[in-house]
Amino acid sequence: MQKKFSSDRYDPLGSDRDALSRRHFIKGVIAAGTVAGAAGLMTSCSDGSDNSEGAPAAGSVERLVSINVNGNVRRVDVMPNETLAQTLRNKLSLTGTKLGCDRGSCGACTVMIDGVTQNSCSVLTHTVRDASVVTVEGVGGANGEIHPVQQAMIEELAPQCGYCTPGQVVSGVALLQRNPNPTREEVRQALAGNLCRCGAYNNYVNAIVKAAGSA
Amino acid sequence: MAFNLIGKDFTPHDVRPKVLGTGKYTEDFRKEGMCYMKMLLCPMPSANVTSFDASEALAMPGVLGILTADDVPAVEEPSYPMLTNKPRQLGMPIAAIAAETESIAADALEKIKVAYEPQPFVLDPLESLYPGGTNALESGNVTGGGEGPIHTVKWTARDFAEAGDEKLPMGAAPVEWNVGDVETAFAEAALIIDEPFVTASSTHQAMEPRSVLSYWENGKCYIHGSSQSQSWMMPGLARMMDVSLDNLVYIAEYCGGGFGAKASPYAVQGMTAFMAKKINRPVMLRVTRAEEYHLGGTRPGFQGQIKMGFDQTGKMTAADLYIVQSGGPNRGSGDYSAAAGAVALVYTPTNMRFRGAAVVTNKPWHVSQRGPGQNQIACIIEPLLDRAAKELGIDRIAIRDLNAPDADVIFTDRESTVTSMYLKDAFQMGSELFNWEEKKKLSGQRNGTKVIGVGVGSAYHSAGSNGFDGLISIRPDGKLYVHSGVGNLGTYSYAGTSRAAAEVLGCSWENTVVLNGDSRHGLPWTLAQFGSNSTFTNTRTNYAAGNKAKEMLQNLAAQEFGGAAEDYDVADEKVFAKADSAKAMTFAEAAQKAIELGGEWDGHEYPDNLNDVTKAAMSTVQGVGLVAAAKDEMPKEGSVPGMATGYCMIELDTETGKFEILEYHSVADCGTVMHPKGLEQQLRGGAVMGIGEAVLDRMVYDPQNGLCATVGLYQTKPPTILDVPSLMEMSAVNKPDPQNPFGVKGVGEPAMGCAASALLSAISDATGTYFNRTPVDPDMIINALAGQPQSFKPLQVNV
Amino acid sequence: MTKDMMPSFNLFQPADVESAVSLLSDAGENGWAMAGGQDSLDWFKDRIKRPTTVVDLSGITSLVGISETTDGVEIGALTTLTDVENNPIIKEKYGLLSMAASRVASPQIRNKGTLGGNISQDARCWYYRSGLDCYRAGGNTCYADTPEGMNREHCLFGASRCVAVTPSDTAVAIVSLEASMVIQGPNGERVVAAEDYFIGPAIDITHMTALKPGEVLTAIRIPAKWAGAKFYFEKVADRNTWDFPLVNIASAIQMSGDTIEDIRLTCGAVECVPKRLNVVEDIVRGSAANEETAELGAGAASRGASPLNYNHFKIPLMENLVKRAIRG
Repeated sequence: MQKKFSSDRYDPLGSDRDALSRRHFIKGVIAAGTVAGAAGLMTSCSDGSDNSEGAPAAGSVERLVSINVNGNVRRVDVMPNETLAQTLRNKLSLTGTKLGCDRGSCGACTVMIDGVTQNSCSVLTHTVRDASVVTVEGVGGANGEIHPVQQAMIEELAPQCGYCTPGQVVSGVALLQRNPNPTREEVRQALAGNLCRCGAYNNYVNAIVKAAGSA
Repeated sequence: MAFNLIGKDFTPHDVRPKVLGTGKYTEDFRKEGMCYMKMLLCPMPSANVTSFDASEALAMPGVLGILTADDVPAVEEPSYPMLTNKPRQLGMPIAAIAAETESIAADALEKIKVAYEPQPFVLDPLESLYPGGTNALESGNVTGGGEGPIHTVKWTARDFAEAGDEKLPMGAAPVEWNVGDVETAFAEAALIIDEPFVTASSTHQAMEPRSVLSYWENGKCYIHGSSQSQSWMMPGLARMMDVSLDNLVYIAEYCGGGFGAKASPYAVQGMTAFMAKKINRPVMLRVTRAEEYHLGGTRPGFQGQIKMGFDQTGKMTAADLYIVQSGGPNRGSGDYSAAAGAVALVYTPTNMRFRGAAVVTNKPWHVSQRGPGQNQIACIIEPLLDRAAKELGIDRIAIRDLNAPDADVIFTDRESTVTSMYLKDAFQMGSELFNWEEKKKLSGQRNGTKVIGVGVGSAYHSAGSNGFDGLISIRPDGKLYVHSGVGNLGTYSYAGTSRAAAEVLGCSWENTVVLNGDSRHGLPWTLAQFGSNSTFTNTRTNYAAGNKAKEMLQNLAAQEFGGAAEDYDVADEKVFAKADSAKAMTFAEAAQKAIELGGEWDGHEYPDNLNDVTKAAMSTVQGVGLVAAAKDEMPKEGSVPGMATGYCMIELDTETGKFEILEYHSVADCGTVMHPKGLEQQLRGGAVMGIGEAVLDRMVYDPQNGLCATVGLYQTKPPTILDVPSLMEMSAVNKPDPQNPFGVKGVGEPAMGCAASALLSAISDATGTYFNRTPVDPDMIINALAGQPQSFKPLQVNV
Repeated sequence: MTKDMMPSFNLFQPADVESAVSLLSDAGENGWAMAGGQDSLDWFKDRIKRPTTVVDLSGITSLVGISETTDGVEIGALTTLTDVENNPIIKEKYGLLSMAASRVASPQIRNKGTLGGNISQDARCWYYRSGLDCYRAGGNTCYADTPEGMNREHCLFGASRCVAVTPSDTAVAIVSLEASMVIQGPNGERVVAAEDYFIGPAIDITHMTALKPGEVLTAIRIPAKWAGAKFYFEKVADRNTWDFPLVNIASAIQMSGDTIEDIRLTCGAVECVPKRLNVVEDIVRGSAANEETAELGAGAASRGASPLNYNHFKIPLMENLVKRAIRG
């Protein structure tokens, strides 16, 4: 029968945590002297279950960070264990980024980080503080024009249920940014991390090839 | 017949929000005061909860409440419980915690102290049928599969001993029907094929998990759900929550896929609404991917035996089919009966016997999936038809054509009929477009370690219904509003069928507004968006409502300008005298007039034959303009057959068992094509899902511990873009179904089965092996080509 | 059974290796070094691995980059798989690694996942990943190697209580490229051969690599010896993307005319470590790269295999892949 994993070895709020953290914080700061900003950051959080003295209370342990999202610097409180998808969806109201699996297995949460596609469910927000993030809401023009990839997807009736579509859009836009005239095969490779259970793959490729022609 | 709108492409209003990311799915909504719920799931396949202590969890800061089986309505087996202390499945919910944040809820779940008393469990239906075998439920092990009470069936040890490992044991069948005399037909047959088979249970795995947001305001229950249906959800949810239809608001404008598993109200919707009521807060339940595997629906698997007799010409003279259907700890669906119906219709055996047993197991909730029954059996029969053709020395399409039904077919013991049938046309068109005669010459051609396989397949689904309601309004803004109770599964049929009303009224699409996805729009009663029925069903309801509106407009004009109603016609957003176009009233004017008149004109009065859901909708709609609600009372005789054929060429590497699909072509018989791009989507999408069903989609259980090996997408393996052809060709016969006013019928489900069976046909063609199983994984192909036995027995499941 | 919300942890983002090593050695068993995080976060979301100290290595710029050295190339452990795949030096001279990197998971994961992380990743045995108390998780049983265990993906060789396999595509490539691994620890730097970096259950059942607590893999060095050799990489998986190998193979061959002058051949997903096929190498070295040699080598490749309930298909598959590698 299944047995629960013993958490003894990994006590999430072990008694020596605070001492340990503080020591490293100091060490981290000293060690990090040469790199501004990012260096030696120490953050901690609580699961809310610990009321022992000195432990941070629930909700009070986020750290304010700045992230460049869709060209705007957004200041937001972020937990250490918070994924970029959570930050985007829950704190920045950018719900175009979808969660299909939360395991980097479907690509519905694909965003561009410094121009390359990543699964935002599998990136801690704290690791992209210095990066530029583009979501499906930010791929269009500055004046609200929709991206040629999006336009082509409308014309080709590319989406079916639409849940994977924002991820397909972002993967397609990222491809055209680095390769304005991809072959059909290159488009397929670029979309290889974006699952579509409705099976609209051909449609998405058609649209991106079409957009490449018009972009 | 030429139409203005039917048969033409258009852009449904939800496409743009989908590509912009602005379309709101359940998890995208936020509500003031919203908190989060997480579920405590049973960690073993069957257990009784012997003690439960949540005091520590409830004492945690931020925890708002708990819901247990005591808080929700109890259900009787084999209905699926919302929460239970007798979980009969790995992952069945025991309790749920609501908290200010999802993290707190997750942490709180770990503080609940639960003691489980493990119960015997069963994952293989044959084990349950063995004398002394475990019943998955206390009330028995066999259901009617959608109908009939649960009861206990055990076969004799002799049934099993005689069958051995290579044949399905065939004990007394709970379900049986006969047409003609199979035994005599087998005695006279020129060729008999008699094989055991397995089609694996597989999971629907829509990209959007079935998350729920619920809250209560002023006695009204609000539920945001991920469902493929809209109006169909209303009565069930109202019953579940014990509210009147007027006090239920259901919002499902977008649904990230369902494939059958989100057709009807499901347990977590009720669970969330009960929690919202208990703690008086809006509650969001985000269902995880792993939870979706446990709770999100599984297609019933089959263990079976098929015996087919053929005469010298290839005519199937006898079919003897026995199916043991694997279900979950719930009533399940009628896949096995549907499979028998498909054999009877698609291959028209002169004599046929069907026997079946629908067995419950301690596996996940089982529910119909795209092409329930028909697609599973197509995967088995189609490759075996190839074998028959090859042994009899006839062409593989010819044998299908020979056995294919005509429109006057009568099938099964119920002597069912069809509304139309163009399968033979599809085969003819397909063999021309695919260039079958040339392609089949390539069969078996070697190129280094690679070999060419060519395949053909077909599938059927009863794709249309009748008797539902249409509702439209013409408003003072001069526009036609079509109220659609169809769900938004991604097929765009909610929009495509709405065009039927505009077609009848000669209204431009630009001036037509489709209202859907939110019961507050006032949405009429219609069938769930399942079974590929929407196209047929809702063109009829909108035809009925459109004609009613036309009649109302004509009468209104006659009242206004004199003369008889038939002196007037409706087009271009106005009603006008045929003889004098100056006697005209615009839609805007007519709407205003209807509001002034009230009563039957603006929806305050309506026909009594409408369904209660439509009647509840009328209270929202009345007074907005000219309101026409009508029930589809047109006659309908017989099953509406959606038929599809698939043609496939692969290149299979004999050293790795991997193959590439070089070409795929599908030709459908879906009546008149309603929406060309939508049809292409369905045929292509069905093909992708069919490829998954045939060779990839996995569901693996450890028989010793009852644990599931496949709880992530990389483990269940839905097809990726690199597993399917870069381009797939689609066509349709495009001949009308006489029982639909526009000639249309559905096709989404057979689009999958024809691809799955065509691919399996091609694999058998390339390897010379008939696997009699889905999925056919690389390991099976490698073993076959290496001359090794497979690592499981022919009837083994969950591998 | 509860998924997707990670338990709390302290996140450290050191800017240099020394700080990372210090943080990790102080944290001991409660510490976790995170590279690209593509597997780490899954473990946390499953609430199975619950470190209190997570050290994010991605800010350590010295661990990123590819540079040619006098005797080969050095790849920072934090270099992404995409960068490894597309790097001109790797592509041109050590194409085996480029090919292997290109077949890992999905584009998104290759854009974030690192070479060091991919090489060092943990076993994918589904029982272990379920959070069961198996040997690998520190318990005292194996669920996969039982009379009814579902072990299609498990090992043919080297079982020792645990039957998990290496799931890495790049690991087989670096073994065939005779790479060495640079490790920084509390006591300074040590360099181990790739073959010694991967350890089986007989050596340490709860770890896949020779990394000790507090140690960080900093670089992978590939010797110039194999630059420009004839390479073959193939991965057979159920799906053509985002999947783990059923079996994969990587070979580097120095040809002299038609003759195999030297060869390194490594097979993955058949043992807990990348399986270097020394015996096959010995058989084929000095022979012509033809069908006959391929057959000869293939026959020896699977010698000693002990298939489990559901994985005997791996024997012919492995043999066939060996043939293809030798044929080139």
